[in-house]
Amino acid sequence: MSSIASPIADLTYRNYDGPLEAPIHRWWAIAKMSIRLAVKKKGFWIWSVISAYWYLVMIAVFYFVDTFAQNSPIGNGQNPFFSQLVWKDQFLNAFSIAQLLLFIVALLIGSGTIANDNRANALLVYLSKPCSKLDYLIGKWFGIFLPIMLVTAAPMLLFYAYGALSYRQYGFLHDDPWLILKLLAIIPIPGIFHASLSIGISSLFNQGRLAGATYAGLYFFTLFFTKAMQVVHIASSVDGGVAPSLVDKLYYASCDGLQIGLAKAILNTSGGPLFPGMGGPMGRNRTAFAVPPPHLVWVLPLFLGICAACVFLAWSRIRAVEVVS
Amino acid sequence: MGVASIRNLTVKYGSFVALDNFSCEIQEGCTGLLGPNGAGKTTLLKTILGFIAPTAGSAEVLGYQVGVEGKDIRQRVGLMPEQDCHIPGLSAVQFVAYAGELAGMPDDQALRRAHEVLEYCGLGEARYRNVETYSTGMKQRIKLAQALVHGPRLLLLDEPTNGLDPAGREDMLDLVQSISHGKGVNVLVSSHLLPDIERVCDQIVVVLGGKLRAQGKIKDLKRIQGQPVDIELREPNERFAQVVIAAGGEIQLSKSTSYRVVFPGSPEEIAATVVKCAQEAGTQVRGIALAERSLEDAFLDVISHPQSSNDPELVS
Repeated sequence: MSSIASPIADLTYRNYDGPLEAPIHRWWAIAKMSIRLAVKKKGFWIWSVISAYWYLVMIAVFYFVDTFAQNSPIGNGQNPFFSQLVWKDQFLNAFSIAQLLLFIVALLIGSGTIANDNRANALLVYLSKPCSKLDYLIGKWFGIFLPIMLVTAAPMLLFYAYGALSYRQYGFLHDDPWLILKLLAIIPIPGIFHASLSIGISSLFNQGRLAGATYAGLYFFTLFFTKAMQVVHIASSVDGGVAPSLVDKLYYASCDGLQIGLAKAILNTSGGPLFPGMGGPMGRNRTAFAVPPPHLVWVLPLFLGICAACVFLAWSRIRAVEVVS
Repeated sequence: MGVASIRNLTVKYGSFVALDNFSCEIQEGCTGLLGPNGAGKTTLLKTILGFIAPTAGSAEVLGYQVGVEGKDIRQRVGLMPEQDCHIPGLSAVQFVAYAGELAGMPDDQALRRAHEVLEYCGLGEARYRNVETYSTGMKQRIKLAQALVHGPRLLLLDEPTNGLDPAGREDMLDLVQSISHGKGVNVLVSSHLLPDIERVCDQIVVVLGGKLRAQGKIKDLKRIQGQPVDIELREPNERFAQVVIAAGGEIQLSKSTSYRVVFPGSPEEIAATVVKCAQEAGTQVRGIALAERSLEDAFLDVISHPQSSNDPELVS
């Protein structure tokens, strides 16, 4: 019972007579708490910073190459390195490289989001308050989506600002005037994908670790499959051959592949070498081995369909009470 | 004035009927929802909260329609579920403050109130610990705290003393009694433990097989038909029984100096008659009280013979 030494003087029960907000938009309270819990994890910060490493590498390389060109007597201000750059490919490369790391971030903050609630019967707490199932689901979804979107957006927009301020003379703004809009369109892709898959898979389990292991299994299994498709594509493309279109389509049949495919379709590029002059397999031109971008007509509905299916799965699994029919 | 009005409510799980044409009025104060396991008590609570859609019938809680204004009801009601439940990864203060935010309290108010309620529930400095490290007794207290944080007008307690040791049970019942009397909070306690209900509740609703078996004040339910009185004499007196019978009374029980007698008339008239009989028998009355059954006897009587219950007003 109540302690006499308590710092609160009046220990008798008093009814709350302060303000109560209308019982709408409770999802935002849930999203805020999910974000608070996510940012409390050290791993979230570590992997978020690591996921931006390729942007940092690019900034460092471009800075030194630019500085070298200005000091070089033969460069005459026109650096062939930058002249060969396709800027949108640089964003695509960084986006692709960040995928595995963003997946780890999603695993850390998202895999247990509903599974741990199932274990602790937390749904009874949520749903006994003026929160609907929809509030809960949207709150949990946004609690994963917003951190991942910010982790994706921050380095990408920083790099865009750096490029716009430093490399306009190399066509940074002119090569693709709509680049910023295209980047704004691809920024939410990992957030939407991981938030949807995380809550869908998480809702199937009572243990966050099991949900995480399942998600990781799905991620790596599909990644292995698409890497195999990439090998087939490269083998078919050697000496000017053309890979079957099914192989090119199946290349995008993974968690990473689908997101990269959608980004490729939005940026309208097949991708290119990490830096100008870097070769592809067996010393050949790397661009020749790039898998062509999928058509937005099928890749966008597929992406949205998978996300919607996962959200629906979570919706069907969330119940305040077990009803035995 | 009633806090909940339930009319012809039917709830089914598939073909299983959990609540069958159930009607009752929950009055202000502390009400016990009494019934054996599987009687439909928890189903009733979950239907009130909108977790389960009724097949037929309607219910009104605090003036709001169940199934239509679920969010409004849940903003004014606090639930302490039977099972352990918490939000993983939070300390008790964070958990209770979060529960307040979910109920619509501003962040700062929720945090202030969480401290206040946790102190009231006796969690003291343990409120800074992660809830997952709590003992069963502490988990019960935190469930109560999260139900109370937003100042509900109706508190639903589902088996509040489950898993508690005797001392913990006493503490929990003290808390429930304190909240439900003079604090403006109406409490509906669901339990199959008669002593718990008797200790904290003013009235009860008896449920069996999804049907209402009885409802009313506990003292009315414990009353015995015919209003017998228990009389304690100073010493055994064989003549007393004869005088009582001669005066038109009936001896129901006789044991040493104790008698249970039935007289017609009001309690005041009965008392006067008893004293007169004692004078005639040459003995002294040391005590006189309206006889009543134990709640257990009353409950068993209600669930086994609902139609033969003493007070027809109590029978559904």
